[in-house]
Amino acid sequence: MIVCVAVVGHQNNPLYIQSFTEADDALKLHHIVHCSLDVIDERVNNPRKSGPMLNETFLGLLYPTENYKVYGYLTNTKVKFILVTTDLDVRDADVRNFFRRFHAAYVDAVSNPFHVPGKKITSRTFAERVSNIVKSFGFSSG
Amino acid sequence: MGKEVSESCVDSLLTEMVASYCDRFYANKSELAARRIEAIGYQVGHQLSERYTMERPRFTDHLEAIKFICKDFWSEVFKKQIDNLKTNHRGTFVLQDNRFRWLAHMSVDPSLENGGASQDPSDAGESKAAQATSMHLYFPCGIIRGALSNLGIPCAVSAEVSNLPACSFVVRIKA
Repeated sequence: MIVCVAVVGHQNNPLYIQSFTEADDALKLHHIVHCSLDVIDERVNNPRKSGPMLNETFLGLLYPTENYKVYGYLTNTKVKFILVTTDLDVRDADVRNFFRRFHAAYVDAVSNPFHVPGKKITSRTFAERVSNIVKSFGFSSG
Repeated sequence: MGKEVSESCVDSLLTEMVASYCDRFYANKSELAARRIEAIGYQVGHQLSERYTMERPRFTDHLEAIKFICKDFWSEVFKKQIDNLKTNHRGTFVLQDNRFRWLAHMSVDPSLENGGASQDPSDAGESKAAQATSMHLYFPCGIIRGALSNLGIPCAVSAEVSNLPACSFVVRIKA
């Protein structure tokens, strides 16, 4: 189950962060997202030479904690997407598919002429779309 | 699925936008009008670059980003690629389009050409015509600047018209 997704701008400014848990642990999840920013920076600045795709947008598993797995994605425009999940056996393809759909939703949201670049995304349509994508995570294998 | 846009509508919109800003909102303040039009282009380029770079790996250097603008970005917007790219390898790039779509249907107003007939007919007419066309190029300049800025490359873009449907954009990357 996905417990948290976040969009972080190129200056590490939060653009959208949403947790999907019943419990009151938003702060903890935000902390995890915050920590993962450093991992992303490290990944991008010291790419592993052996990596098959050096500049791929999908960054893979950033780090596992005892309860969560954190995945990252960095767009060409230096916007970071972060996914926190409690599933321990996640297929890479599912995560890739998730990020692809998430990216499409993000692009549509920022193409709104009323959206101010660099400001938080407040669109309700975007929030609904994201929660749909989160709900369908793991079920669609296409 | 690709979406289609009527070319004549885009042409009319661009012409109308330039006319509104130059003749109505900022009449006689062409500098200000130019800056406003450029800013609109900037926002458009900013958003388009987000969309068009979606399924591609990140760019490693400036040249790669510029090539993306010349090939994929230009194809998406204008259905053709930039015809010629020159660079001095020190941050200046010249993108030449031999038949720029937004100038292709543009003709110079004959009243402008005859306007300075009394003294130096060709000179006055040409400079007015050049000014009119250059106003229409601030929008595409803004698009290029917006796209590159969003890709993390701050730059200044200017345009030059040689003979009408051809024009070139000069991109200067800020160090």
